[in-house]
Amino acid sequence: MPVGLADLLHEVAILHRFVDFLDEYCKEQERTQKYADASGIFFEYVENLAAGIKQELPQQIRRASQFPERLPILSSNMRTLKNYLRLLHVLIKPAADAHTLTTPAPLVDLASDQIRSIEAMKESKVVVLLASEFMYFQRPHTEIKIQGWRVGQIIPGAAFPHKLGFIELPYSQGPSFFMNLAIYHELAHFVYEEFSNSSVLHKGFAELKSHTAESLGRALGRISRDHQTFTFVLGIIENWTQEIFCDLFAIRLVGPAFSFSFVEMLGMLDFLSAATTNTFNPTHPAPAFRLTEHVNMLIDDGWWDAISDVNPAPKKILAKLARVPRSKYRFYLDEKEPGPQGLITVFLDVVVPKVRELVREITSRAACSAEQFRKDRKAIQDCLLAGVVPHRADDVPLHPTSIINSAFIFYLTSLPEVIGTFEGEKAKLDVEVYSKWTKRLEMWTMKAIEDSRLHAHFQEMKGDRNGPHKN
Amino acid sequence: MAPTDLQDRAQYLSLALFAQQVVSVLMEYVDENKTQRLKASLKEALDSLDRAEDPASSPRRRASAFGNYEQLRTLDEVWSKKDRAAAIQKMRAILRTPNSSKSKLVADELIRLFSELQNQALWNFEQPKPVSPRVMQRLCQLA
Repeated sequence: MPVGLADLLHEVAILHRFVDFLDEYCKEQERTQKYADASGIFFEYVENLAAGIKQELPQQIRRASQFPERLPILSSNMRTLKNYLRLLHVLIKPAADAHTLTTPAPLVDLASDQIRSIEAMKESKVVVLLASEFMYFQRPHTEIKIQGWRVGQIIPGAAFPHKLGFIELPYSQGPSFFMNLAIYHELAHFVYEEFSNSSVLHKGFAELKSHTAESLGRALGRISRDHQTFTFVLGIIENWTQEIFCDLFAIRLVGPAFSFSFVEMLGMLDFLSAATTNTFNPTHPAPAFRLTEHVNMLIDDGWWDAISDVNPAPKKILAKLARVPRSKYRFYLDEKEPGPQGLITVFLDVVVPKVRELVREITSRAACSAEQFRKDRKAIQDCLLAGVVPHRADDVPLHPTSIINSAFIFYLTSLPEVIGTFEGEKAKLDVEVYSKWTKRLEMWTMKAIEDSRLHAHFQEMKGDRNGPHKN
Repeated sequence: MAPTDLQDRAQYLSLALFAQQVVSVLMEYVDENKTQRLKASLKEALDSLDRAEDPASSPRRRASAFGNYEQLRTLDEVWSKKDRAAAIQKMRAILRTPNSSKSKLVADELIRLFSELQNQALWNFEQPKPVSPRVMQRLCQLA
């Protein structure tokens, strides 16, 4: 046996056991749980990858026996593959945990369908992950897809599924509804990845990238000739771009309910303190800037006017931070070190106007309507006040985004009223009762969304069946 | 600012996989005389190296390498300017005359270069470093 072959054999055997376990684990989940949208496709990918790797490993040993001088390279290849499996390993368990009993399945289904109404995303599929960290707005999953694509070139039959996206929810928030509206932001990361990494780059994205690079080059002057510095700074602007794209995209799809949910989330994560609201960091733009953009989009789309009769706490925070002048924004590289403030100027003047245009263009068919909300709101809130699942007496289904926004506003402004009706005046200040009714309200909202979608589907089918008679 | 989360250092692994793909194709070519994937793979590598020379340019191919700070830094750590020029020259030579026996010798040298790149990327994936002091210093100068 050539020197080093025994070591390689040992490494290969460990890898074989690892993929064998992942393969069995995925099969077991599919047998025992029911999942929303595309988790099954993801598990199937892991199974195919495992089969491909098991087929490939003996070839590597054969190659090593035939060309012993290649042993160090083959060993590096095994290490690279093992590390890719380590990254997949991080995703598999959260995907397995996110079955229909632990996630807001009606919301995930609705949001996934809305995404699929975008022409370039119509074949998209979403895998839900239940994360151990209490954090939405996770990093995008672009790299794992790029790696999956490369591994697919190396391992036979292991092509990474086409247009597969991932969204992460904290496991403690899995069954809740209002907080989970953050998934719209997560889904927007998926959309951004698909548009900016497609084989033929979308014209708007191509322009955005080239304008950003040009403006940045001018702002950095001679320093832009240092490629590492330039690429590092470009990465920061790319992070900010993606975040504001995702916020605006989410508002276009789900309206002010997303902004309210976002403000509640920022508050929970302590990102609304005076020290952080005006601060850009390398991964995120300043919350004050983000909320200003939220308000501008809500005004332009008629939502701000449609909710002018209410002023709950999250709306007050939105309005307050939207008044912060841009001269107050600061960029810090870390806790203490200020970064080049010129980056904020490039971002606000060059990137953001282009992002606003892009979001409007991409969501033109998927956007929700403030007008529809105005029509549906009273019927929905009357039902909630009476303690029943929102529905309409006539044959017209309520629009799901009207349900979401009406229910969220009801939750922020009228929950004590319904508690008073059903539990008595004293219960209005009982935290446990408040929490119980919040949960109940979320369940009614999810049920109403399911009913509305079923109703719309039924009408569509009925229309199809009636079609020939009309002719 | 040193990333600790596995997913936050994924760019290094993407680079290792890119290098592995080039190495695998070159080994097939040298050891087994297979050329099916040679042209596409070397062209992608050439595009990626062009991009490293001009980071402001948009990538011409999906998922091409050296488009982010982590990958560019790894490239700088392992290949000198001379190595880059030599790699580009060697790839062009193979693409021009893939059937020449001399090209196989050239391919063997390329295997060594890309293998070094793969190993450095794997090392950085395991042991990520904070942003280089030089880059931080330059950014602070602009603050």
